[in-house]
Amino acid sequence: MSAAQRNVVAGLVLLAIAIALPFVLPGRYVIGQLTLFFIWATVVTQWNLVFGVAGIFSLAQMAIFAFGGYATAMVGLYGGWNLWLALPVGALAAVVFSLVVGLACLRLKGPYVALLTLAIAQGMYLLIITDTACFTMEGVTCRNFTGGTRGLAKYGDFGFREWLGYSYMAFGDYYLALGVLVLATAFSMFLMFGPIGAAFQALRDSPEYAMARGVSRFKFQMLVFASSAFFTGLAGGVFAGYYKVMGANTLYLSPLLFLLAMMVVGGLGRTWGPLVGAAALMLADEALKDFPEYRFMGVGAALVLFVMLWPRGIVGAVEAIGQRLQKRRSEPGGTSIRQH
Amino acid sequence: MDTTTQIIISGLTLGAMYAISTVSLSLIWGALNVLNMAQGALLTLGGYAAYTASAALGLNAPLAILATVVAGGLFGIAMYALVVRHMLDREGFEVNVIIATIGIGMVLEAGLQKLYGAYPIRQPLTVEGGFFIGNVYVPFNSVIIVLTSAALMLALAAVLARTRMGRAIRAISQNRDAARLMGVPVELVYAQVFALAGGLSAASGIMLSTITTLAPTMGYDPMLKAFIICVVAGLGNVMGALYAAFLLGLFESTVQFALGVRFAFISMLLLVIIVLIWRPHGLFGRTRVTKL
Repeated sequence: MSAAQRNVVAGLVLLAIAIALPFVLPGRYVIGQLTLFFIWATVVTQWNLVFGVAGIFSLAQMAIFAFGGYATAMVGLYGGWNLWLALPVGALAAVVFSLVVGLACLRLKGPYVALLTLAIAQGMYLLIITDTACFTMEGVTCRNFTGGTRGLAKYGDFGFREWLGYSYMAFGDYYLALGVLVLATAFSMFLMFGPIGAAFQALRDSPEYAMARGVSRFKFQMLVFASSAFFTGLAGGVFAGYYKVMGANTLYLSPLLFLLAMMVVGGLGRTWGPLVGAAALMLADEALKDFPEYRFMGVGAALVLFVMLWPRGIVGAVEAIGQRLQKRRSEPGGTSIRQH
Repeated sequence: MDTTTQIIISGLTLGAMYAISTVSLSLIWGALNVLNMAQGALLTLGGYAAYTASAALGLNAPLAILATVVAGGLFGIAMYALVVRHMLDREGFEVNVIIATIGIGMVLEAGLQKLYGAYPIRQPLTVEGGFFIGNVYVPFNSVIIVLTSAALMLALAAVLARTRMGRAIRAISQNRDAARLMGVPVELVYAQVFALAGGLSAASGIMLSTITTLAPTMGYDPMLKAFIICVVAGLGNVMGALYAAFLLGLFESTVQFALGVRFAFISMLLLVIIVLIWRPHGLFGRTRVTKL
């Protein structure tokens, strides 16, 4: 089996387990946490494309997510659209937003990109929480365009309650989030193992030759940056429909760093890194549930430790062990060629 | 007339505060080519350390400030010795150091919150009172901030220009390998740079906390502004960072007056984006020919 085929088989096995899980698991809480896991894992797979594969150190991922979520909520609220129709609109809005951010940042080099994207996220946060102008009147109270500090609400939902009834409505959100994650993962694999992955590998291995052959770094970076924003924005829309409130707390620093830790702990640029990292961090966060003051500290400590000791993350560490075992088994001097 | 005076006074105060942060970021970038994302937490550390030194230990103001600067310097050294040193020259260290310093900042911030609680505390070192220029009230606190900042910047300029350590720092910024071959103890100088930057940031944190209040997250917003100023000036250019800090401080206070506080940050952001499109290496940055 080739590397791509192995990944597809592994993905299908995981998918079968995920589909069966809600029928086996007890309780709404676990299903809710898994739904959240799918949403975060979707964002991390796309961030991994931007950061791990295309090498853009962008910290705007949660801003793109929030943009998608807000756009979805606003189309539902002000346009009166059904949220199912608002979802793709929100995702496309996130793509447009990401194009603008990309045009402003992507000609710059590494650390400049990190600083600017972080500043853009903060600028968006500040604009939302300081929004006090009246946009519409709701009875006698005035509502801001962005919802201000209170956030947006009452923009409808996906209607799972009517379709599936009260006891099964959580299943609807669960499968919707899972579906988005599957699409996002398939898309990221398509990019990693397809021509775009090859282009970035060429740019990494021999930049002079790649550029001489007409592989433009800027063009491919823009392409990855904009297309990964689609699923990130879609995840934002699902988040908005699932929580029924869209607020500026998605733009706080802590969720951004939580997701960054998922990517780093899982393994930057690795195919399964985002999923492994998201699962590890969600489990660790669950374990620290009774000690909330150590949650933030734990994420910070995980970032430092992994970057120092295991810069390739859990997936990279496991791969290294696998390679060592394989080498021991094969003849001395024999090399194994592996794609990641 | 009064408006202009008001804008200039608040712009100078902001600029003086940003200048120190920006210069410490620039020092580290210039010498090691890495970005210190724990800067915000270092500012917070400075604010709380001064609070502890003066309120809990009962030190007088100069001693409390000295103790704070020493604490910041020690934290800087610890950061270098325990984390950053082990990552330099490894594959992808630019990005890895950014991630690691983000982590350090998170741990420090959470630790301070655990120690002091999340509620804002007033900085006891704040100086009360003020005087009038025309109809404009000038707090003594602002005057002290501008003067202290100017004194610190002059001292730093003297250290960089005249001392052995300053020469070594500049040599390493220009060409690390050549400096090493000439016998400059690179590792030691790196530690000194972190100590300097840590001490300066702590001092900046005290100033910041006298204007706002002490809170675990107080360093984040000023850190982002310091980043923006660094980018405008060109990363690693210490003198450029100083000019840009005052320039952007004045710009911010003008925008705050003309458009409202709400648009201050976003206008600074737009300004930096325009500057970068025009000059990708910043206003004072040297354009370098980079090899692939």
